[in-house]
Amino acid sequence: MSYAKFLVKRILQGVFVVWGVVTVTFALRAAAPGDPVNLIVDPGASPELREQIRREVGLDQPLYVQYLEYLQGLVVGDLGFSYQSRRDVSIMIAERLPATLELAIAATIVAVVIAIPLGVVSATRRHEPADYGATLFSLVGISTPNFWLGIMLILVLSVQIGLFPVSGRPVSFTDAVVSLVTTGYAHDLVTWLRHIALPAITLGTYFTALITRLTRSGMLDELGKPYVTATEAKGLPGVLIRYKHVLRNTMIPIVTVLGLQLGTLIGGAVITEAVFNWPGLGSRLISAIYAVDWPLIQGIIIVIGVGFVCINILVDSIYAYLNPRVTDE
Amino acid sequence: MISDRLKANLKREFDRSLMAKLGLAIAIVILLLATFAPILATHNPTTTGQFDEHGNSYPPWGVTHETHTWEDGDDGRERISYTAEPSPDHYLGTNNIGQDVFSRLLYGARTSLLVGLIGTGLAAAVGVPFGLISGYYGGRIDDSMMRIADVMLAFPSLVLAIALIGVFGRSEQFIPDPIVMAGFADGMPEYAVLPGTVTLVVALVNWVWFARVARGEAMSVRSEEYVKAARSLGANNRTILVKHVLPNSLTPIIVLATIQVAAIILLESALSYLGFSGTTLSWGYEIQQGQDYLATAWWIATVPGIGIVLAVISINLLGDWLRDSLDPNIGGEGGV
Repeated sequence: MSYAKFLVKRILQGVFVVWGVVTVTFALRAAAPGDPVNLIVDPGASPELREQIRREVGLDQPLYVQYLEYLQGLVVGDLGFSYQSRRDVSIMIAERLPATLELAIAATIVAVVIAIPLGVVSATRRHEPADYGATLFSLVGISTPNFWLGIMLILVLSVQIGLFPVSGRPVSFTDAVVSLVTTGYAHDLVTWLRHIALPAITLGTYFTALITRLTRSGMLDELGKPYVTATEAKGLPGVLIRYKHVLRNTMIPIVTVLGLQLGTLIGGAVITEAVFNWPGLGSRLISAIYAVDWPLIQGIIIVIGVGFVCINILVDSIYAYLNPRVTDE
Repeated sequence: MISDRLKANLKREFDRSLMAKLGLAIAIVILLLATFAPILATHNPTTTGQFDEHGNSYPPWGVTHETHTWEDGDDGRERISYTAEPSPDHYLGTNNIGQDVFSRLLYGARTSLLVGLIGTGLAAAVGVPFGLISGYYGGRIDDSMMRIADVMLAFPSLVLAIALIGVFGRSEQFIPDPIVMAGFADGMPEYAVLPGTVTLVVALVNWVWFARVARGEAMSVRSEEYVKAARSLGANNRTILVKHVLPNSLTPIIVLATIQVAAIILLESALSYLGFSGTTLSWGYEIQQGQDYLATAWWIATVPGIGIVLAVISINLLGDWLRDSLDPNIGGEGGV
């Protein structure tokens, strides 16, 4: 199979999955108990008003018509209106998306920057204290619920020492950068960094632990291979061998696993946002669930599903590009 | 299914690995604490402060330790918290409404383990047949079944779980507590509480992992000689699936089930932290309660979290042990 054909097939699969996600969330909404009109008007409203609203929102239509209309709207980016705030769902999502992306990217950076050197050291100094330390850290890291870790960080670093603020996001990353460029003062950027530090560590720790484990085991597998002995025999310095050759070969399985774990990252972001009152998609999803605001719930889940599918397609196509044997299957 | 060779492997790995011993020891302790919670608990975990004629609560056990007052941000009314520090009366202190943290730790272990074990069982009961059928028949059946699994995997488990609870609503099932019924623990709750919706939802969210593993195993087993032999002897597909494919796929399914118990305990704690569980006797719920009192009573949120970490670590260690001894291909050294 050619690479282009592989890509087309993979994208078609992705479109199917997105359709599946849309359909499942629509079914969940249809199955949810209670009359949505009650969520839009107050319970004392007259029957006439209720009927009028039912008609305006389209809830009087048969379910399949509502479904087709929803699909139709979705194609042009119209996710409907929130029952609670009567605002455009797509706008409500767009205004919260940057905060979640900031958090997810910061957490990934934290994870990669700490985990890869840790994994390399752990693999090259096997059965030394550094290795035991890294192994213990990764065991605890994958076993700790991140919301509790976040609360413990708040307890020690915010409440006791006062090093970081307890919660919130007073300034966005883009505004902070704009302020740095226009005024020359880094004050906003520092504020942003101080606020994102604890959430990023909270969300990133599980991945730090996971990548440390993967790097260690991948490096151990690679270090045993003949080409390492050959390069050592040629007299290449150990550091160069480890970071340039061995680590590069270890990266492929790491990237694959990370693609699969993306759902964990998003789920983790939801709860991290709840802990730190971080104004992202996750905290909006949770308040939407409390308010039984189905158009908003549906919209957020679809956006998450689309993001997940896109990144997985990206990971798969990079993987197939690096490793042409994949497209043969 | 558990052959002598397997037993020997399990024993060898166990003798060799300090971590396996540690994992088993912690797991047994937690299991005992949870099972005998009514006997070991020092106080009824649900008994809160009582109210006097002014509507103020006072602690039920004569707590004399520091009390904290503060202005409530919402209504400006002053409230009194009878949070007690850890002491001989309350080994791990009390929470904001005067409940004993140690007793709630024990009862929280029950909830976590019940949801973890029952949820994993349900997930396997759905996922394993699904995966076996998909992998065994292959072709178009496999394609369409795996597309369903793809859709399931596109939902982050926590997000899907929250949405499902939004549909089903919260619920709790009451199971009579045999220890209290038999009269061994007077004054303790007569019923153990199982958050029903949460148990169902964690299974609905996690069955797909079982399906994937079972499918992979069925695919590799179906072209084996003994399956072909059974088929040529006239065995029908159902017999082959149940008698030959399933037993030979069990090893990785058991390893997965172990890890899933840990994953489900984490998911349950996250759901109850967010307030979506049916019961308040849960580690996650307790952590959420304690978050507001970090400055004055750190133990409320800290103690149940240590419970979760220990439970999940011990199960992960058991999972490592099982995998190292059941799967000779992965080996103990480099395996993740």
